[in-house]
Amino acid sequence: MSLGNPDSMNNVISKVLRYGVLLSAAVIVLGAALLAARDAFSPSASLLHYDPNQIPHGPFPVTFSSLTAGLATGSPDAIIELGVLLLLATPVSRVLFSVFLFAAEHNRAYVYITATVLTLLLFSMLVTPYIPVFGG
Amino acid sequence: MLVLELMVVIFLASIVAGVIGSLVGLGGGVVVIPILTIGLGVDIHYAIGASIVSVIATSSGAAATYVKDKMTNLRVGMFLELATTTGAIIGALIAAYVSSIALELVFGVILLLSLIPLVRKIGEDIPVTPELVGLSKKLELTGSYVETDGSTVNYNATRPAQGLAGMLVAGLISGLLGIGSGTFKVLSMDLAMKLPMKVSTTTSNFMIGVTAAASAGIYFVRGDVDPIIVAPVALGILFGASLGAKALPRAKNPTVRKIFAIVLAIAGAEMVLRALGI
Repeated sequence: MSLGNPDSMNNVISKVLRYGVLLSAAVIVLGAALLAARDAFSPSASLLHYDPNQIPHGPFPVTFSSLTAGLATGSPDAIIELGVLLLLATPVSRVLFSVFLFAAEHNRAYVYITATVLTLLLFSMLVTPYIPVFGG
Repeated sequence: MLVLELMVVIFLASIVAGVIGSLVGLGGGVVVIPILTIGLGVDIHYAIGASIVSVIATSSGAAATYVKDKMTNLRVGMFLELATTTGAIIGALIAAYVSSIALELVFGVILLLSLIPLVRKIGEDIPVTPELVGLSKKLELTGSYVETDGSTVNYNATRPAQGLAGMLVAGLISGLLGIGSGTFKVLSMDLAMKLPMKVSTTTSNFMIGVTAAASAGIYFVRGDVDPIIVAPVALGILFGASLGAKALPRAKNPTVRKIFAIVLAIAGAEMVLRALGI
């Protein structure tokens, strides 16, 4: 498969999306199964019933450090959040791959376009949540 | 309701949302949010967190197929993403200073008004191909796809500047309201750029993942992405979107436009009603 072939761009991007989706789905399935198992054998009724007024329903990891800590103990919540992060990473990887694919086609205008999109996307995803002026 | 029951109900509803969303180029939030909030009593913050995830799942789940089938126009999508990502950042920046209620009202009304031009061309199959000139020519905003009967449809995009402007608004709305705003994307490509309907919906589907990812970070950090809700949403949507992506090539352009018009009317009405507190 030559990267300069326009057909291969569709194939590579399609594969990036498909593998990203399958990987994240597998991780979320694992997390959901563990969660179901935990609830099924839990003696605590509060865990079994969903109470919309109880916000949040329980603690779950929202930072990278709490996520890592949760994964280390095999917490179902943390595994699901990891799967969600993999899902988030899928469109980002798709943009990243397209920068290289357009470079292989020597399509300079689109290398600039996709590289700009990637920069804006990463800035928006990773930086703005921590800048107070953006409500972070 | 038991947590496990809740997860099963959300999973089944999300399959439906995934099928509809992947067909008409939206994120499924229009289906997921009311089911979660009105149907199951989930807090709106967790519903929006789930909606963001559902947009990304619909996009990635169906786009793998659409891109492989060459229904999606990659160049049009990536060119327009310049505007959606910029809009998303501006939206996040001004989110603290504008009323989301007023915004929902305005956006809902815009969606309902855009039904008029859409309905006027409801039966249109393939638009008359405009000549490829100016920026569209320079950026090769052209393409072709194969219908199931074996005929090849060639098309050119027109008015790329108007398309970009529409996408800037779409990105802005995503950043402010936490939705994929696929409705606005499809409208921009269908009405301004004159792309065939199926190209508009699949290219919108391709783009909404990036738009939603751009504003997803803040919802994650805020703790709006609740695993109990998001796990069944993500899995159901991924499954539904892969079903929808298999069905779309067989659907006719006018059929897709009709489904889109119905979903658009519901989405617009939903936003207006929510803004009015009904």
